[in-house]
Amino acid sequence: MSESTVRYSQRGGARAMKGFLRQFLSYGGAQVGLVCLVFFLVVAPIPNILVGPLQTAINATGDFLAPPSGEHLLGTDEVGRDVLNLVVHGARISLTIALLATVISLIVGTTVGITAGYYGGRVDVWLMRLTDFFFVMPSFVLALVITPVVLEVMGRGGEILGFRPSPFVILVVIGLTSWAFVARIVRSQTLSLKERTFIDRARVAGSSNFSIMVRHILPNLVPQIAANGALVVAGAIYVETSLSFLGLGDPLQPSWGTLLSLAQRAGAASAGAWWYLGAPGVCVLTVSLSFVLIGNALDDTFNPRRRVIP
Amino acid sequence: MPDTADILRLESLQVHFPIQGGLFDHVLGRPAGAVRAVDGIDLNIGRGEIVALVGESGSGKTTVGRVITKLAQPTGGRMLFEGRDMTSVQGSSALRPYRHRVQMIFQDAYQALNPRHTVFDVVAEPLRSLRLVGNASQLTERVSEALASAGLNPPGDFFARFPHELSGGQRQRVVIAGALAVRPGLIVADEPVSMLDVSIRAQILQVLVALRDKHNMALLFITHDLPLAWLIADKIAVLYLGKLVEIGSADDITFNPRHPYTVALRNATPQVGANAGRAELRGLQGEVPSAARVPKGCRFHPRCPLAFDRCKQEEPPAIEVGPQHMSACWLAA
Repeated sequence: MSESTVRYSQRGGARAMKGFLRQFLSYGGAQVGLVCLVFFLVVAPIPNILVGPLQTAINATGDFLAPPSGEHLLGTDEVGRDVLNLVVHGARISLTIALLATVISLIVGTTVGITAGYYGGRVDVWLMRLTDFFFVMPSFVLALVITPVVLEVMGRGGEILGFRPSPFVILVVIGLTSWAFVARIVRSQTLSLKERTFIDRARVAGSSNFSIMVRHILPNLVPQIAANGALVVAGAIYVETSLSFLGLGDPLQPSWGTLLSLAQRAGAASAGAWWYLGAPGVCVLTVSLSFVLIGNALDDTFNPRRRVIP
Repeated sequence: MPDTADILRLESLQVHFPIQGGLFDHVLGRPAGAVRAVDGIDLNIGRGEIVALVGESGSGKTTVGRVITKLAQPTGGRMLFEGRDMTSVQGSSALRPYRHRVQMIFQDAYQALNPRHTVFDVVAEPLRSLRLVGNASQLTERVSEALASAGLNPPGDFFARFPHELSGGQRQRVVIAGALAVRPGLIVADEPVSMLDVSIRAQILQVLVALRDKHNMALLFITHDLPLAWLIADKIAVLYLGKLVEIGSADDITFNPRHPYTVALRNATPQVGANAGRAELRGLQGEVPSAARVPKGCRFHPRCPLAFDRCKQEEPPAIEVGPQHMSACWLAA
């Protein structure tokens, strides 16, 4: 043990990290995506500090549908709320829903994928038929059906785990409909990993199936899960925006999709209020594009055909 | 149990892999065959004994190793370990006492190490899974001891290293350390040196022999290399197409082989020396037949230079040709 251990671990870990970052950042897309994402991730948690509390019709400060000016950098909406204020607050809601939905999707997808791939046989067949079911089902349509039903049953009031019902339902629905993609990728990787000799060695060492899956297979799946996770986030943002745009969002916690929906209903497009539609629209575009760029760059970085994974 | 008793006993062990018939075979009622990878093997390994299992690729020697380490399930016969029938024991918790006594060394040390585990994790894994240590300091002590026995000194320097930071010989030593960390009674070594440079082979072999001498560990050494088997083993078993054709002491098999296949194997090995030369080198004719279509009679007869009629009809039993020396050949009868 002693000091030599520490020296080696730092050296080995730091070198691997440095190599990964150099490779990853050599992609132009990764740089653009990372800059945009960091910007939004800094803005999202602290809207109150940046633009003050969320404005409502009651504490609105500006004129109706005023174009961008020194006072309101992104103009105002139909009840005089500052659009910048709404967009910054919307970032928090949109990103929270998308990221949590992705976490659900990755957990379910990885669990199903590893189990199906590792056990094979009948377990594999049944789990993959289930996956196929979710795979071919358009997640958007499912979300569209489930959301109003749940809202009807539980009402729009109250809170579930700190969320108001409609964002909560949206995030669960997105999570449950986007895992099939992850499950297929994880399964195919597991199929090839489980034939490797170190799995035999682990079995001879007395490791249980669960421990082999968690300690041997899962760590070797991290590259694929990370790369596809980024793509799942991009999809989640898109679905969240669409559902909110169709009016399934929560007006009291407006996400970017809710804002687009409000703008649409206020006739922003025909009134020429481009700032009202444009601001949340550009945000959605930028964030999902950055996740796609980062996901593709991660995929390229980890791609065994370009780079041999040790 | 007395010290002279065998640690492992294989009784007509059999591993057949069924061949999935196609739709046509089903319709036409054709019987689906089987790949007879291991086709009835009797083998005893004594405590502290080094037994070499020699054969060509495809002879089933690796399958025998996988059955003994419970990575493959036999389809027939029995496997007795220290007198207990282990043939049908399955499941990681039920096998824990057995795993504690039987470990394995793999051919390709690089494939056998998880690229994301450090050397410490690799060697500690069996100790943790088999619940052999009570606390962290005990674990560190056992891991250090195993690494040192495998010749990695000082052990502490290797704890936090990853497999890609090690040389081929060091990786194989890590695999060996992982196997002997639990202080097993039997180690199955599947071609442990075939992937290594010749200069490193001798060192690894010395480590293995030292283990036997120090801890009285038995070793099943699987190899295709007859001279190597003679060098390390007390007893050699020659496997051909899933069946043992000759078994005897290392010296008997090497210098007084009684089965034409063993003779052919020996003649196919290059020798350095005054009366050796290219002319002496005689290869075996033909290929090993598929284990899915084992020849009738003696399974070696299509390639045997001495085959006669009886060989094509009847399969020879193991015939005693000397003390502890058996040969499955009609010529020995």
